[in-house]
Amino acid sequence: MSTVELRGLRRTFGSVVALDRLDLDVHSGEFVSLLGPSGCGKTTALRIIAGFDWPDSGEVVVDGHDVLGLPANKRNMGMVFQAYSLFPNMTAQQNVEFGLRIRKQNHEARARRARELLDLVGLASAMSRYPRQMSGGQQQRVALARSLAIEPKVLLLDEPLSALDAKVRVQLREEVRRIQLELGITTLYVTHDQEEALSISDRVAVMSAGRLEQLGTPAQIYNGPRTSFVANFVGTMNKLEGVVISSEDRVVRCGPLTVTVPDPSFRHSVGETVELYVRPEDVRLELLSNGASPRAGSFEGRVTSLTFLGPVTRVGLQTDLGPLLSDVSSAVALNLAADTPVSVGLETDALRSLVSSTTTPDSSSSDSSPTALLS
Amino acid sequence: MALVETAEGGLQPDVLAGTVSRKRRRARRWTFLGVLPFFAFITLFLLIPTGKIVLDTFETATGGFTLSNVDAIFHAPYPSAFEFSIELSALSALWGGILGFLVANAVLHHGIPRWVRPAYLSFSGMAANFAGVPLAFAFTATLGSLGVVTVLLKHLGINIYPTFSLQGLLGASLVYLFFQFPLMILLMVPVIEGLRKEWREAASNLGAGSFGFWRHIGLPVITPSLLGLMVLLFGNAFSAYATAYALGISNLPTIQIGQFVNGNNGYDPQDAYALAFGMIVVIVITIIIYSLLQRRTSRWLK
Amino acid sequence: MAQVSTASAAPASHRLRRARSRVPLWHVLWLVLAAIFFLLPIYSVVRFSLEGILPGQGIFHWYQTVFDDPNFRSSFWLSVQISLETVAVSLVLMVPTVFWIHLRLPRLRPVMDLITILPFVVPPIVLIVGLAPYIEKFSWLAVRPEVLAFIYVVFALPFLYRALDGGLRAIDLKTLVEAAESLGSSIPGTLFRVILPNLRAAIIGGSLLTVAICMGEYTVASLLGFFTFPNYTYEIGTSTAYEGVALTFISFILVWAMMLALYLLGRGGRAAAGVAIRE
Repeated sequence: MSTVELRGLRRTFGSVVALDRLDLDVHSGEFVSLLGPSGCGKTTALRIIAGFDWPDSGEVVVDGHDVLGLPANKRNMGMVFQAYSLFPNMTAQQNVEFGLRIRKQNHEARARRARELLDLVGLASAMSRYPRQMSGGQQQRVALARSLAIEPKVLLLDEPLSALDAKVRVQLREEVRRIQLELGITTLYVTHDQEEALSISDRVAVMSAGRLEQLGTPAQIYNGPRTSFVANFVGTMNKLEGVVISSEDRVVRCGPLTVTVPDPSFRHSVGETVELYVRPEDVRLELLSNGASPRAGSFEGRVTSLTFLGPVTRVGLQTDLGPLLSDVSSAVALNLAADTPVSVGLETDALRSLVSSTTTPDSSSSDSSPTALLS
Repeated sequence: MALVETAEGGLQPDVLAGTVSRKRRRARRWTFLGVLPFFAFITLFLLIPTGKIVLDTFETATGGFTLSNVDAIFHAPYPSAFEFSIELSALSALWGGILGFLVANAVLHHGIPRWVRPAYLSFSGMAANFAGVPLAFAFTATLGSLGVVTVLLKHLGINIYPTFSLQGLLGASLVYLFFQFPLMILLMVPVIEGLRKEWREAASNLGAGSFGFWRHIGLPVITPSLLGLMVLLFGNAFSAYATAYALGISNLPTIQIGQFVNGNNGYDPQDAYALAFGMIVVIVITIIIYSLLQRRTSRWLK
Repeated sequence: MAQVSTASAAPASHRLRRARSRVPLWHVLWLVLAAIFFLLPIYSVVRFSLEGILPGQGIFHWYQTVFDDPNFRSSFWLSVQISLETVAVSLVLMVPTVFWIHLRLPRLRPVMDLITILPFVVPPIVLIVGLAPYIEKFSWLAVRPEVLAFIYVVFALPFLYRALDGGLRAIDLKTLVEAAESLGSSIPGTLFRVILPNLRAAIIGGSLLTVAICMGEYTVASLLGFFTFPNYTYEIGTSTAYEGVALTFISFILVWAMMLALYLLGRGGRAAAGVAIRE
């Protein structure tokens, strides 16, 4: 299978910078998601790789060869579009056979391969159906089968599930991953849905405003966000303001709380104001009986809102450190109501200090992702 | 008080249900009133005159039933006029259609400079409306016996006259082309735009070049539309009067009918009805073919 | 981690940008041929209209002659009058009808589609034959130019309908009307206050097309004996040489100006497809 490297891709549309010197390495057989909000450049990057657009500068290297000189129809990549890409005048089978027909394969070979692939996506029974006779989910499966029929080196998917119902989306994403693992094909997957990206990728590339914010495994991205954008885009983050008390020991005072920042690369001078982040699931709550004080290391808070999310309830709190969100199991939340006083504790191992974006030079982090941010 | 289901699927007390549905029925009858003026107008100014022609064709001057009028159009000079008109219309529709498609496609290409599309589309709007008297004169100035192009060709040693004539099939087709061709461009643009970008990109991604796309997807999908529009063009040319008149063409059914209305004698006035009827028959066939093709179109381009 | 190389400098990016906007020669060919075909007659007309000038006369002599001709003004004015009447009647007739159909009678839409194709293909000449007896019967009425306006309403029908239909399809009519109703507006009130402003482009576009049709219609006008502008053009064109071409060019400019206005209004897409006419 193939490797894909993006080197210094830059693309502007008039005054809008869609891609700002993007670098990315995709290993052979890897499933990498490009994750980010609308307009971050992820689709632009994908289209450039596929050949439907050209960058202003930069290189796209597949297996060591620059493919930018090749027209789209010679790059041998499979692409699955967001919607409407099946040819309306052809049945599912004919759609899947199309690439093979162009390559002048004979009738039986084509039919065999089409059946094989439609089987793979579970639609062998729909071979003679036209796109308008299929549901959105079925159409996308046929589109996937069609793109795989030509045995491409690279598979590109541009938000293939965005137009589908939520339940179908979850089902299909598992299938896409299963098929990708089975075939071992190098895959680039564009999405704005972080749950989707985290659940099926080998690595996730979080993008914003044409730049790569962070590249890492789903766990690295979630547990070790390196910028506040990543922290806020993937999951939710609480923000705390504090003042540095000791630079060497990395001690910060936030309101009534004194914490030690776990990250050894945290270097700020005494008296500097910094921002610290902690995820709602790392904010612990305990009921405070009347008049009792919170124990050492915790502080007082008051419940302001309760949002039932199913297994977990998101509790809005007002504290001396400002407003905070805490995720507790819904069983525990049954004991909470508006204005209930609680004792709030933070998992200090989970405190992070983040820079706002990758524009400011960043010291290397402690987790061991080999392909780091831009320098 | 019982609850009853309404037509929309909600529930309401049964006492009200009766009155509501009665009101709804009455409302439905009144809604047709809103479009009455329009249909009255159409009936008066379009359907009745057309109907009258159909009926009067089978009437003698005194009021009895006859087929002799219809028979008359099968005698000279009418058949040749119909033939010429059909040839002329078909030729200008065919070439207008093909050229219109090619230019529309060119204008819609993603890479062309931004000024091209507005320039060509607004000019097409102009040219399509320019038919009639001024067009005939413009072509006379171009390809008439003293026309600019005629003279130019003469300088190059090519003498197009007397074999060429603006009243002949080739000459008249060229003139008609001037409004057929842009008409097709304008009509074709939405059709080509209806070909989703995703289809082209998917085709390209799967290895097809531009030719492959058109051969397997593009043309199959728009052919019904293409043909339908060409049929429309045919009808348009077949009905032409002013351009032909100003060019001095006389062997067209439209011109011949005109001569009756003008009061030229030498033709039997009942023939006017027959001629008009003949034209209506051709037009009706045109419309039927067009409708059938339109229905096929909407299947793909939804 | 690869360092960003600065080797991808100007030459490569030029190549990339060109790759992006490469237009196949095939398309260029047809665009050029079309341009030649369209511009030749225009050029010929202009060429002719500037010839045959005697010394002492300005280069626009023939144009001047035409403008000075009182018949020019009277025929032009008559055509304008009829055009405006046609537009007025058409709008009063069509706007409520199309609105009503979209709102309450969507099932009539295919019927409308068919009916509005009819005037496009029924030759005016055939229509005249059908109307002739009535015109004779009401000959006292027939000399009023309003008759022509009513007939022109039928001709303009397909184009006005397409324009209005397109305009209504672009707005979510049902939602707007229901919203207005919930705020207390009556249906006619809604039509005037809410829908019409949103249809402005479609209405103006359709009206421009109507005017273009009326200003250029020759057949019915001449056969009914009205001395409209196209009629005048015909007379001048067949009796003179140079004034005729000058007048032709004036007609061209006139139509072109209207179409340009139409295009600028609709920014190309929908309005231009509202399209053209027979002659």
